[in-house]
Amino acid sequence: MTTDADTIAMLRDSATRYAADHYSFLQRRAALDDPHGYSERAWRDYAQFGWLALRLPAADGGIAADPAAIGAVMEVVGARLLMEPLLASAVVGTGILMSAAGAAQQASPLPSLADGSLKLAFACEDDPETDGCELRGGRLHGSKIGALHGDVADRLIVSARDADANGAWTLCLTAAGAPGMRRKSYRMVDGRGAATLHFEGAVVERLATGDAAAVIEQARDEAAVALCAEALGVVRSLVSTTCEYLKVRKQFGKTIGSYQALQHRMVDMFLLQEDIRALTRSAQRALGGPPSERARIVSGAKAYIGTAARQVANEAVQMHGGLGVTDELDVSHYFRRVMVINALFGSRDEHFGRFVDASLEAA
Amino acid sequence: MNELDIEQAKARASKLREDIRHFHANVMPVDLRRKSDRHQVLDKADYLQWMRLLQRQGWVVGHWPEAQGGAGWSALERFVFEDELARHGCPWVIPFGVKYVGPVIYTYGCEAQKQRFLPGIISSEQFWAQGYSEPGAGSDLAALRTEALRDGDHYVVNGQKVWTTYAQWADWLFCLVRTDREARPQNGISFLLIDMRSPGITVKPIRTMDGYAHVNEVWLENVRVPVENLVGDEGGGWTYAKFLLRNERMAGAIVGMVHHVLHRLKRLATQTRSGSGRLIDQPLMRQRIGEFELRFFALEESAYQAVQAMMDGSENGAEASLIKLRGTELYQELAEATVEALGLAGVAYDTRALHDASLPPLGPDDAGGLLKDHFYNRAATIFGGSSEVQRNILAKLVLGL
Repeated sequence: MTTDADTIAMLRDSATRYAADHYSFLQRRAALDDPHGYSERAWRDYAQFGWLALRLPAADGGIAADPAAIGAVMEVVGARLLMEPLLASAVVGTGILMSAAGAAQQASPLPSLADGSLKLAFACEDDPETDGCELRGGRLHGSKIGALHGDVADRLIVSARDADANGAWTLCLTAAGAPGMRRKSYRMVDGRGAATLHFEGAVVERLATGDAAAVIEQARDEAAVALCAEALGVVRSLVSTTCEYLKVRKQFGKTIGSYQALQHRMVDMFLLQEDIRALTRSAQRALGGPPSERARIVSGAKAYIGTAARQVANEAVQMHGGLGVTDELDVSHYFRRVMVINALFGSRDEHFGRFVDASLEAA
Repeated sequence: MNELDIEQAKARASKLREDIRHFHANVMPVDLRRKSDRHQVLDKADYLQWMRLLQRQGWVVGHWPEAQGGAGWSALERFVFEDELARHGCPWVIPFGVKYVGPVIYTYGCEAQKQRFLPGIISSEQFWAQGYSEPGAGSDLAALRTEALRDGDHYVVNGQKVWTTYAQWADWLFCLVRTDREARPQNGISFLLIDMRSPGITVKPIRTMDGYAHVNEVWLENVRVPVENLVGDEGGGWTYAKFLLRNERMAGAIVGMVHHVLHRLKRLATQTRSGSGRLIDQPLMRQRIGEFELRFFALEESAYQAVQAMMDGSENGAEASLIKLRGTELYQELAEATVEALGLAGVAYDTRALHDASLPPLGPDDAGGLLKDHFYNRAATIFGGSSEVQRNILAKLVLGL
């Protein structure tokens, strides 16, 4: 299902305008300093605009947004470094509920997701030191790490092995603070929150999914593609801000942008931005395609974009000179966001490996 | 183009891709195909056969408007045509007549010039060469000094051109000359069509590191050219030269070439033994090929989206430079990796085996051809606007630096 171009353009425009008016770098400082690490007011505004219901069907007040429409908002998340749990809750968490939960399980959460009173997070990363999570007799054991916005989520979706079904993947829903669950919250380098979760026989609800492994893979792919769009937004901001700086900063009596060495490096940053744009579009289209092709294209895009965005961020810091490493300038904040984007929902190496396997298998 | 036209262009383009596959498998003569598969050196007769074969399919000027004898291809069909031929390692479509001078003549030439030159370009009856670069005017083309002075109803041309591909075979040379020394450098340039049999023309071959002489110096000494061979206005040459470059910008061939050489590297790594297994199973080789795959994936996706932008009019002006930069740089690295994977066969070189298909090759049967192409394409980042000039252009036009 595809969202029409006018709707996407409207979403993009309204998100861009809102962020320009209400999410300046200074206003964002306040969100950074908030105990939750995001702005509750902005979150309520997003609910008003319908962004939290993006993925819901029209019957539930949403627009059943396709990946390009979600990407339009995610580009603004990157371009302005929004801090709220849009990706964790409105994109990934809601997406899993839509595809994996039965009608009864959806009935109560959907309206609360749309109005922002319920926030979800997806805990799908295992601690490499332990065996991950296991569901035994309806109780969850084990731990999960690095759950984006797991610190502020009201409910968590946890991937686990089902000991009563030969270790098949399953998806569990648990409330924050449920007995038998401990949550260790922390901030990531970009200031957003995350959590490590420990389960010691927590009572959880199973999502009524048929093929949990497929749902998990789909959700991780959707998250990766949304992150590609977020990286595109970040990179666009870095490219334009660095280019402007080259035009005004003077050394040795000339603007530094008049030096060919810097012009060529600036062009290379721009070319990387264009690569990222093309691959983000490709990945968005691939989400609706056959799974094998989807794996190749989504992972290819995430891997390529990871390297490309990091390269742009490195160059942006370098070309801003000493200012580039300061906390006062937005450049270092974009730099830190790139690090987080690259670490979430599959590292560069993981996606590269998956891309190579799919490519060489197809050959 | 509106959405419906784009959908129709897509359907025609996939049909064209099928037709080219069929042509390569079933129509291409066995001799020519064998030479092409082994990347051998083609002589003039081979190229003429090739160009005429393509023209029989209606392809060689498929990108021309129907009114001029073409098929009115969209940007996508044009891209697919070049891409698919290159994927099979086919000989290139010699561009000087059909891609470069032909469109200049039908766009800016007079009726008499169209009547006189276009049929010979379409049929490859006349072989064209491009007289652009000079010893002092490479990337800085507007610095050219070859001079054409008016003498009655002739121009008298004096100067020197260089890097002139296939001048040794050419019947005609389209040539940028300076007709006004006083004007701004770009304004004093004119576009002349010069008969290569004219007295005063000397062609001197330049041997390149592949051992061949594809390119030449062309010396022009008091060459008399009738004024009716001036295209468009005197002093308008720079405009036509830029138009020609815009026409040259469709970059399908480089994407197909990268695909071909990547495929060739994978085949080689699959067939080559290393230790107790195959070369492709070595972690380092797998990693290296994987990185190439990833870059090719990015190139191909960018190229298709650039073509789409050309069709729906959403270009940002950077597309052609991006594909040239990414494509040629990737091609060169792939060719280098392939030559390295050939090991000692990658430094054995017998130019006789590149002409004579009956001679036994050294190493794998196309190793010599791969090596030759690797040498030749070291120039791919130099000709058609060097990588450095592409970056200068983007810095100025797109980034405003």
